[in-house]
Amino acid sequence: MAAVVEAKNITKAFGGVKAVDDVTVSVEAGEIHAVVGENGAGKSTLMRILSGIEFPDSGQVMVEGKEIENSAKDSIDAGISLVHQELSLVPEMTVAENIYLGGFPTSAGFTKRKEMKKFAQETLDEIGVQVDIDERISRLSVALRQFVEIARAIARKPKVLILDEPTASLTPAETDYLLSMLERLAKQGLAIIYISHRIPEVFRLCHNVTILRDGKLVYVSEIKKTTPQEVINQMVGRELKLDLESRRDAKPGDVVLSAVGIKAPGVNDVDLEVRAGEIVGLGGLVGAGRTELIRAIIGADNKTAGNVHITVDGKRQQITSYMSAMRNGVAYVPEERRVDGLAMTMSVTDNVYLPNRKDLAASGVINPAKAAKVAKELADRVGLRPPEIKREAGQYSGGNQQKIVIAKWLHKRPSFVVLDEPTRGVDVGAKAEIHRLVKELADQGTAVLVVSSDLPELLELSDVIHVVRDGKIMGTLDGAKADEKQVMGLAAGEKLVEA
Amino acid sequence: MSKNEPITQINAMAQAPEEQPKQKSRRGVEWFAENGIFVFTAVLILSAAIFVDGFASLQNITDVFHRAAPIGIVAVGMTFVVISGNYLDLSVVAQVATAAVIMIAVSNEYGYFAAVLAAMLAALIYAIVNGVAVGYFKANAVIVTLSTTYVGLGLLRLLSGGSIFFGPPDGALAQFGAGKLGPVPYSALVLVAMTLILAFVLNRTNFGFTVRSFGINERATRLGGTNTGLVIIGAFLVTSLSAMIAGFVLAAFSNTAVSAMSTGYDFQALAAIIVGGTSVFGGKGSVLRTLLGVIFVSVLSNVLVLLNIGFGYQQMALGVLIALAVTVDALARRAGKK
Repeated sequence: MAAVVEAKNITKAFGGVKAVDDVTVSVEAGEIHAVVGENGAGKSTLMRILSGIEFPDSGQVMVEGKEIENSAKDSIDAGISLVHQELSLVPEMTVAENIYLGGFPTSAGFTKRKEMKKFAQETLDEIGVQVDIDERISRLSVALRQFVEIARAIARKPKVLILDEPTASLTPAETDYLLSMLERLAKQGLAIIYISHRIPEVFRLCHNVTILRDGKLVYVSEIKKTTPQEVINQMVGRELKLDLESRRDAKPGDVVLSAVGIKAPGVNDVDLEVRAGEIVGLGGLVGAGRTELIRAIIGADNKTAGNVHITVDGKRQQITSYMSAMRNGVAYVPEERRVDGLAMTMSVTDNVYLPNRKDLAASGVINPAKAAKVAKELADRVGLRPPEIKREAGQYSGGNQQKIVIAKWLHKRPSFVVLDEPTRGVDVGAKAEIHRLVKELADQGTAVLVVSSDLPELLELSDVIHVVRDGKIMGTLDGAKADEKQVMGLAAGEKLVEA
Repeated sequence: MSKNEPITQINAMAQAPEEQPKQKSRRGVEWFAENGIFVFTAVLILSAAIFVDGFASLQNITDVFHRAAPIGIVAVGMTFVVISGNYLDLSVVAQVATAAVIMIAVSNEYGYFAAVLAAMLAALIYAIVNGVAVGYFKANAVIVTLSTTYVGLGLLRLLSGGSIFFGPPDGALAQFGAGKLGPVPYSALVLVAMTLILAFVLNRTNFGFTVRSFGINERATRLGGTNTGLVIIGAFLVTSLSAMIAGFVLAAFSNTAVSAMSTGYDFQALAAIIVGGTSVFGGKGSVLRTLLGVIFVSVLSNVLVLLNIGFGYQQMALGVLIALAVTVDALARRAGKK
C-alpha cells in the first residue's frame, strides 16, 4: 500500500543546532504510527514541518505522492491536520464556533449559525463525544477541551491526523476512550501519527514506531517486532535504571512557608507548609490547579482568601503581594520560562541583573563590571554551557535557559524557592544538573516547593508529595516511600470520563 | 507503571553537549534596520555637501542644529516611552506649547523661578495621567495620549485666550534664545546635554534598565521584582520633562509663545526615533540613535528647503520616511524571530 504521507530527508536547524537531521517517515492509510523520543528529540519540530507551520531547511513533504508547498494552508488543503500539544482553542468562543474555525462551511464569506451548529454536532457525533456545543470552551474541563480540539482537527476531513502528546492531561479512563476512538478512526482509513513518550500507550495503539534522538532517526520498527525495553533504550541511547540512590537525606528544620486556607480561581481551600531544608513536591495532572496554587501563595496572582507567612531567622512576615514575597526571600522559577522567566533578547548578564539590581546598585547607578562578575559566578555555579554571559538568553537551548532562570535567584540566597515544572522541555544532561541544584539548595537549608508532572522527577526530588486535583490536595505521600501508581491514582481520582 | 519499569531517569550525570554559539544569522533586513541610519546619514550629509549650494556653510550647519533642538529634545525624551514598548506620547504637542506659554506668560508676571515651577507641575500632571492610564490600567498609549493632547490643548486655549505672549526683548530668555558658545547656539548645547544625560539614565541606571527590560518582557520584569506601573510613569515623566525643556527652548527662539506653536512635534519626534533605529515593538534602541535620527531628518528637510522644494513635498517625504522605517523595523523583527 502506498504511503499517504511521507516526509523525506527533512532537516531543520535553529541557529547552529539541528533540531531535525535528515529524517524520513512515511505513514499509510489506516496506519497508526508512533513517533517517540525524549523532550527535545525533534518530534514536535518534525510535526510542525509536516503541518506547514515550520519550513524545513531541506527535504520534502509528500501527500499521496504529491509534494506540498510549505505553508500551513497547503498542508491543511492536502489533508494534514495537527492536534497541538498546547491547546489552541479560543476560550471565549463556544464549542461549535471553535470546531467551525477548523471546518468552515460558509456561503460567500458569511457565517450561517444554523449550519455551523449542525456541522459541529455532526463532527462531535462522528467521534462520539458528548458536549454542549453552545458551551464556552473556558467552562470545559481540560479533558473535554482536548476532545474538542480533536473534533476540530477531524472537522477538516483530513487524510492524516497528527496528535502531539494528546494524553498528557487525561485520566486513565479518558485516555482509554481516546485510544479506542483513534483505533476506530484508523479502521476507517485515516493515517495517524501519534507522538508520545508514554510507552504503554504506544504499544497498545500503534502499528509502527519511529524513534528520534537528538534530531536524528535512530530506530524504526513494527511494534510487534520490538519490546518496550528496546524502545526506551533507543530513546535515551543508554541503559537506564531509576536513580533512587540519588535521593538525599532530608533534615527538615523549622517551618519557613506556611499557607492557610488559600483560595483563588482554580484553588479550593489549600493549607501547605514547607520546612527549611525540605523539598515538597506538588503532583497531579496538568490543569489540576498547582500553578494557580503556587502563584496565589507567592502573590504573583491574586488570592481570594487565605494567609501566607514566611519565617526567616525567627521573624514571621505576612506575604500580601509578590513584592513582599520577594523582599522576604521568595524566589520563583515559573513554568513558562519564555514568557515569565527570561527577556530573550537580553544578555545573560542583564537577565541575572534584573532581580538583583537593588542589591548590586543601591544608588541606582549600574556598575557593569560588578553585574558581569556576579553573572559569571552564577553562570558557573549553575553550569551554563557555554558560560558566555554576553550572549542573549534566547540563543541558548531550553536546558540552559532554565539554568539562567535559576541563576537569577541564587545571588539573593533565597529562603523559599518555588519551581514550576523545572525541567520541562529540557535535555537529560541539563535535567540532571537542575536536579543537583535543587537538592543543593535544600541541603543548604532552603525551603523548596516543586511542581512537576514528571513522576520520576517528583519521586526523586520530593521529601513530601502532595497530590493536587481540582484545586485541592487529595492526598499526601512520604516521598521516600511513594510510587508512581499511588501518585497517579490520587491525581486521576475516581472521576470517569465525561465524554 | 512501577519503579521497576523506569522510563526517563539516568544513572549517570550526562554531560550536556557544548552548544555551538548560534551565529545569529544576520539577515540583510536586520543589518539594514540596525545600521542603515549610519550609512544614510553619512551619504545624505556627504552628497548635500557636494551637490547642494549653501549646505556646507558654518552658518547653515549651526542653523540646522538650532532648528533641530526643540524637536530633538522631545525625541530623545520620548525614546523612553518607545523603548518601554508603549509606542509614543502624542501629548508632547500639548506639553511643549504648555511649557512655552507658561514660561513667557508666568515669567512676565512672577519671574522665571515661578515659571519653571509651574511648568514642572504641568509636566508632572501629564506624566502621571498618561503613566497611570498606560502603566496601571494598561490603556493603549496612542489613544490615551491623543486624549490628553486634546484636553491639554483645549485647556491651554481657554487659559491663554488663544493669544500670543511676548517676553521682554532684553530678558534672560531672549538672550538665551539668541546666545551662542563660539559658533554653537545654546539650543544645540541643550540638545547634546539632554542626549548625554538621558543616554546615561537609560543605559546605566536601574530605572533605565527596567524601562528596557519592560519593553522586551513585561511579565519577566514584573516577576523580577519591579513595580512596572512606576516604570511606565517614569518613562512618561522623562518624556514630559524633555517636552518641557523643549518648550522653554522653543519659547526662547522667538521670545513668543502661542498654543499652536508645536503642531507636528509628535510625528516629527517619532520620525527621528524610528529612523534612528529604535524599534516600535519596544526593548531595542537608544537615545544616541535618536539623536542621529534627529540629525538625519533635520538635514533632509534643510536640503529640501535649500533646493527650493515646497513644504507639501517635505511633509510627504517625512511620511514616506516613517512608513519605510517602520516597515524595515517590522521585517527585521520577523527575521530576528526565525
